[in-house]
Amino acid sequence: MSRAGAYTLTAVVVAATGLYAATDGLRALTAEAARRVQIQETRPAVPPFVVEGLQGRRHALRPDSNQVVMVEFIYTTCPTICQTAGGDFAALRDRAVDRGLPVRMLSVSFDPAADGLSELRDYADRHGADGDVWSVARLRPADLQDALRFFRVKAVPDGWGGYQHNAAVLLIDPDGLLVAAYDTGDFDRILAHVEQLS
Amino acid sequence: MRTLSQIPDNAAQQSATKTAAVIKLSIGLSGVVFLLMMIFGLIMRAAQAGWVDLDNALFYQLLTAHGAGMVGTATFSGAAIMWYFLARHVALNATVYIAFLGLFLLGVVLVLGSIFIGGFGGAWNFLFPLPALSGGIWEVGAAVAFCLGYISIGVGFLLYYLEVGYKIARAYGGLLGGLGWRFVWHGDVSRAPPPTVIAAASVTIFNSIGIIFGAIVLVATIVNLLFPEFAIDALMAKNAILFFGHVFINASIYMAVTAVYEVIPEYTGKPWKVSRVFVIAWAVVVIFVQGVYFHHLLQDVNMPKWSMVVGQVMSYGSSVVLIAVTVYSTAVYLKGAAIKWDLSLRLLVLGVIGWGVGTIPAFIDGMVAVNKIMHNTMWVPGHFHTYLLLGEVAMAFGFAAWLVRGRAIRETSALDRFAFGAYVAGGGGFVLMFLWSGASSIPRRWAVHYAQWQLQSQLATVFATVVVLATALLVAGYLRGLLRRGTEQ
Amino acid sequence: MNTVLLSTLCFGAALVLQPMARLDPVAHMLLQYPVLGVSGYLLGLKMPTAPDLRGPLLVLGITCVGFWMLPRSLDAALDSPGMHLAKLVTLPLLAGLPLGMSVPRVGAVLRGFLKAQSLSMLGVLSFLYSHAPIRICNSYLIEDQQRLGAGFLWLAGGLSLLWAVPLFLGHSLMPDLLLQRKKHHDLC
Ligand code: HEM
Repeated sequence: MSRAGAYTLTAVVVAATGLYAATDGLRALTAEAARRVQIQETRPAVPPFVVEGLQGRRHALRPDSNQVVMVEFIYTTCPTICQTAGGDFAALRDRAVDRGLPVRMLSVSFDPAADGLSELRDYADRHGADGDVWSVARLRPADLQDALRFFRVKAVPDGWGGYQHNAAVLLIDPDGLLVAAYDTGDFDRILAHVEQLS
Repeated sequence: MRTLSQIPDNAAQQSATKTAAVIKLSIGLSGVVFLLMMIFGLIMRAAQAGWVDLDNALFYQLLTAHGAGMVGTATFSGAAIMWYFLARHVALNATVYIAFLGLFLLGVVLVLGSIFIGGFGGAWNFLFPLPALSGGIWEVGAAVAFCLGYISIGVGFLLYYLEVGYKIARAYGGLLGGLGWRFVWHGDVSRAPPPTVIAAASVTIFNSIGIIFGAIVLVATIVNLLFPEFAIDALMAKNAILFFGHVFINASIYMAVTAVYEVIPEYTGKPWKVSRVFVIAWAVVVIFVQGVYFHHLLQDVNMPKWSMVVGQVMSYGSSVVLIAVTVYSTAVYLKGAAIKWDLSLRLLVLGVIGWGVGTIPAFIDGMVAVNKIMHNTMWVPGHFHTYLLLGEVAMAFGFAAWLVRGRAIRETSALDRFAFGAYVAGGGGFVLMFLWSGASSIPRRWAVHYAQWQLQSQLATVFATVVVLATALLVAGYLRGLLRRGTEQ
Repeated sequence: MNTVLLSTLCFGAALVLQPMARLDPVAHMLLQYPVLGVSGYLLGLKMPTAPDLRGPLLVLGITCVGFWMLPRSLDAALDSPGMHLAKLVTLPLLAGLPLGMSVPRVGAVLRGFLKAQSLSMLGVLSFLYSHAPIRICNSYLIEDQQRLGAGFLWLAGGLSLLWAVPLFLGHSLMPDLLLQRKKHHDLC
């Protein structure tokens, strides 16, 4: 082969390797997919965030003992994806209870300024989050930035007073490690993972 | 104008020898692959006849291989023919052809591997979302390999057309000059480019566009296979695929027909003249072959049925003027001339006739069955087997016979006469059985046929056997001719 | 001298565009990216290159463009200051510059191939961005993503005209400037 050909071939190999690495081994083209791959691979420990729930109750995001915590980030006035997510969470709760899985579920608002306790209450009532297995809560303003950064939640104002954001079900294992993120409707894989963790 | 004569003689000589060698190789490969794919077809037809017991998955693998293999080889052999004759008019760089050949073969290996190792059976036109829905029969990897194979072939063709396009543009004052369109309105038509150049410029334009669209769907399909969250709009994908597939297979015959323009004059002693109608006929092809599909590609709403009907009629209609011109001119040139009918001439003329006859069923389909246009019966394979088996492939074998003919034109030998007769009779019977099946509403692409459908399939199997034997004789004759010519030199 | 000035202007324009790029993916990908690339490309046109290095430079440039076209890179450039800086440096120096040093000097067939290929890739991007049911970038709204998809299509249409017209008309009718007539002895 000519010298130019050899150089070019080498460059192609290097380039392909680079792009392979830059997409986490052809697994993630988007930031959201990358978030999910990286959570599964790094399993970061969740900081001791505390969220405010209904009736002034406080919930730690970290699990108590031998328990798996499922978290999703929402804002209650969201007309679209959070309502779907709420419906999905209800279905997930029913299935988890049926299977007798030791889970605690939290829908956490990332918009504490707009989501007062009464808005949270409405959202909880609408989806049947009775506080038993599944509670609705909001981030404290002091934790807001840290929590969004840690969970890599990104909410973009949509110009209509709401947000478009990356919705997902996040799993925290009994040791307090953030271990996975799934689509909110991906019941089978979520439940299988919970089963395996507990 | 730059022509061969302006290149130093020595280099031109060398380049011509090199070109001739690779073209002979390409035609030999095409012949062998045609034969093999015909045997696959025969097996499928025999399975539909209930005479052989074929696993369903294997049937669809054979169907995919037969479809992809035939479309690929038809276009490949057409490309070889056009390159050979275009090189008489402009100085083509043989290295580009060799790169084309290499990429084509790489693609064939990938496609065959995906089918017979990976088990891919999503049919040659891989309509979305079929590649992703294997029902567990094939892995994502097989579908990706299939698409990569197509991409490799597409890249090869793109290089081919770029070289052809640049050389024509340079020699004839832009591609527009190569198309000869300015002679439509005024000017002395005798100064228009030769017919082969007009054909090559036309095919280059529409098939390059087709390939670019094909590449879009192929890459999008691969992205979707690897990252399912990137869904593809099925309607849009279907349009782009149909556009690409349709243009690509059409290109095969538009390229092969250059053999008619260049070889028949050797028999008649009169050059194939470019007339105003000839230029217009090719212009119609260039514009309508693709014009039909453009508005489909840009709209997202569900396609109304009429648009499919119009699309179908227009796209076959686009070739009608050209076919009429070609058939008519062939008849006029041959009439009255004292002609020795050897194998090559017979096959070329058969090709012209098969091409013409093959569009008739398409018209009937478009007109009679307007509301059943999507009914997908055997009528459709009936139509395209006519213009491919009796059209493009006949032209390719005619070119092959001409390549090894020797300088003097000899009367057809008894063996050749037999092979030719068997090809016509077997091929004719075979396509008629498809059409009869279609007229009886037998669906296409069914691995297993009900008992009441089997008669047509059984007769077709007999005819197909005859075609396969005739083809084997033609291929053997070509290979023998190559050896003979090789030792003569 | 002229080139350096023009290149600097392009780079300056890219900086000015930053606030828009943050809000609008069309401004980000179809305005800021290109001016960054062009600022390097112009410099590359003037740089001497050993023929042996054209291939690797071409690959480098294409890879760098490819990397920044990944939706996740678009997000990363907005989320992390390091990536923001990397974008401002690499798009001119690792994409534009090597492309400017190689593209105009390769054979006509290869250059035509690159053009055809970029048209297909724009088509693919348009296909994906306008029809993906998900949000591809976390930083942008889905409506903007669809606008970006349409933008790719327009760009592809514009470029195909720009490139096809000279080929059609040939040098008899087109000013020499638009036609890069070259022998392609160094093809493939
Ligand atoms: C002896 C010759 C041949 C035989 C026995 C044969 C047989 C068949 C059969 C049985 C089918 C499937 C029909 C169905 O049920 O849908 C088929 C499809 C097809 N054939 Fe042939 N064929 C022959 C020659 C050719 C030639 C020469 C070409 C093209 C150059 C060709 C191109 C195709 C294509 C494109 C399909 C469609 C595949 C699909 O539906 O995915 N065939 N052929």
